[in-house]
Amino acid sequence: MLRRNISAGQIAGYAVANLVGLLIVLTAIQFYRDVTSVSEAKDSFISSDYIIISKRVTGLGLGDMFGGGGGGDATTFTQAERADIASQPWAAETGEFTAADFNVSARVDMAGSSLSTALFLESIPDEFFDISPAGWDYSPGSSKPVPVIISKDYLTLYNFGFAASRGMPQISEELIGLLPLRLNLSGNGHQQWVDARIVGFSSRLNTIAVPADFMAWANSTFGEGSDADPSRLIIRLRQAGDPAATAYMEEHGYEIAGDKASGGKAAYFLSVVTSVVVAIGVIISVLAFFILLLSIYLLLQKNRAKIHDLMLLGYTPARVAGYYRSIVLWVNVGVLVLAVGGVAAASAMWHERIAALGAEGASIIPTILIGAAIILVITLGNVIAINRNVRGAFRG
Amino acid sequence: MIDKITLRRLLPQVFRGSEAEPPVCGSEVWVRDDVTFARPTSYIIEAESGTGKSSLCSFIYGARTDYDGEILFDGTPVRGYSIERWCELRREALAYLPQEMRLFAELSVMDNIMVKNRLTSYRTECEILDLLDRLELRHKADVPAGRLSVGQQQRVAIIRALCQPFDFLLVDEPVSHLDARNNSAVAALITEEAARRNASIIATSVGNKLSLNEYNLLKL
Repeated sequence: MLRRNISAGQIAGYAVANLVGLLIVLTAIQFYRDVTSVSEAKDSFISSDYIIISKRVTGLGLGDMFGGGGGGDATTFTQAERADIASQPWAAETGEFTAADFNVSARVDMAGSSLSTALFLESIPDEFFDISPAGWDYSPGSSKPVPVIISKDYLTLYNFGFAASRGMPQISEELIGLLPLRLNLSGNGHQQWVDARIVGFSSRLNTIAVPADFMAWANSTFGEGSDADPSRLIIRLRQAGDPAATAYMEEHGYEIAGDKASGGKAAYFLSVVTSVVVAIGVIISVLAFFILLLSIYLLLQKNRAKIHDLMLLGYTPARVAGYYRSIVLWVNVGVLVLAVGGVAAASAMWHERIAALGAEGASIIPTILIGAAIILVITLGNVIAINRNVRGAFRG
Repeated sequence: MIDKITLRRLLPQVFRGSEAEPPVCGSEVWVRDDVTFARPTSYIIEAESGTGKSSLCSFIYGARTDYDGEILFDGTPVRGYSIERWCELRREALAYLPQEMRLFAELSVMDNIMVKNRLTSYRTECEILDLLDRLELRHKADVPAGRLSVGQQQRVAIIRALCQPFDFLLVDEPVSHLDARNNSAVAALITEEAARRNASIIATSVGNKLSLNEYNLLKL
């Protein structure tokens, strides 16, 4: 009986509005998750929540009156500066590059001839590596080769710069791992040869890195005991490409290494755009919610006398409201199903393009859960409004 | 189950301040210390138009609360009853025929009755058809209630009110639009149904009284 007074037009209007809103919200979320799955993959263009900073090396090294502070070198970070950076709100974690406090030279024996070069080593805490190669550990005294990670840029420099022009063989990543490398460590009156092996290439770290344990051992054995401040820091940002971090670096005259910051900016831009789109979707959904609320009010107002009569017959408010509740529930479930279907279709359309960027796409389940949560909140709001209205009709 | 309905110094709020004037001063109901309706006695409340008969019915039925004083069911004040409690009473203890009938105009006679019966499951469809037959309305069962004459609607509403268990049957001017023959048919039906439930009838009237055999007469 109550059904006769329900306006199909109003319900359809609400359904369409809410569908559009929900579709926009969910599509934006899914797109963001799909695209950022690129950056979660290694070596991607958007990976960027890590930055490496150093101080600017000035031309003469003489006029650098500030930044040095209490007697330290002008290009190292003092304890106070490190503490200040670590306390910034955008910094999730900071790590120091520990430099070797001794002399290192490396020798490669290749096909009878040997190649020898002076070298430097650094180490950073393990959690800052973008790769975790097998055998990345060291215990002093063991005969296992010391694992080394070098920057991918170095291999590129060798293969396409040095080797190409000198007629030397180009080396693949796999091949270089097989090269027997010998390191000569000296200092503090000691000298020792150790075996080493290149186990990985990092695109995040522009250095030659060894495990922190090895560095600690070597520094204590060969070091001169000068407890140097680090000259480079690695920082994990809370939000990729946070402009506050960039501004802080500029203000203090620190340099951000490589082009990682521009990847970070892309990520930051993406998150801003996504937020704007989500906000628009939320606004549309909220408006749709109010459309439904209004049409429920109108409907109940129109049927107030009938509802009152039903209660005079002994119908409880719960029973009368149940009818309206079930309409709202079914409409909302329908909207959710359509919206999820729409998102799945849209996601399939862009999937191929972002797959080209190396993203396999994120699971759609969290998006569905978010959509379900939104619909749940909307439904609850509607149900509360219906119950209050129906009970209000009891006294006529 | 309600055995006794007591009115204590009851007065519609519209009469506030005019306690010493007619119609309130001559009333046997308004502002009396203790007016009791006890089962299974039947009552007819006689009054002129505008003295608050329908208000009294609405107060007892819980549809309105704009009164001073108290209404007690078996000694319990009803003011604190929840909506759910009222709905339960309306399904099981109180039956009510409003003066304006309140049928759903767009529903058929049968559907109007079923709206109530579905709630109580008190009668089978056959029994309802028999009741319609008894009040000469069987041929109207599928006609929308809005198309019936007022007298016919009155009889449909009476049948609807009888589709539930009750201890008290409130009928607000049940026969105002009925001729003497229909009056006695309705009266016989109501008396029979009330007797079967050991229930009271409380009927109001402006002049055309329900033809009950035994009743207490109160002047409002």
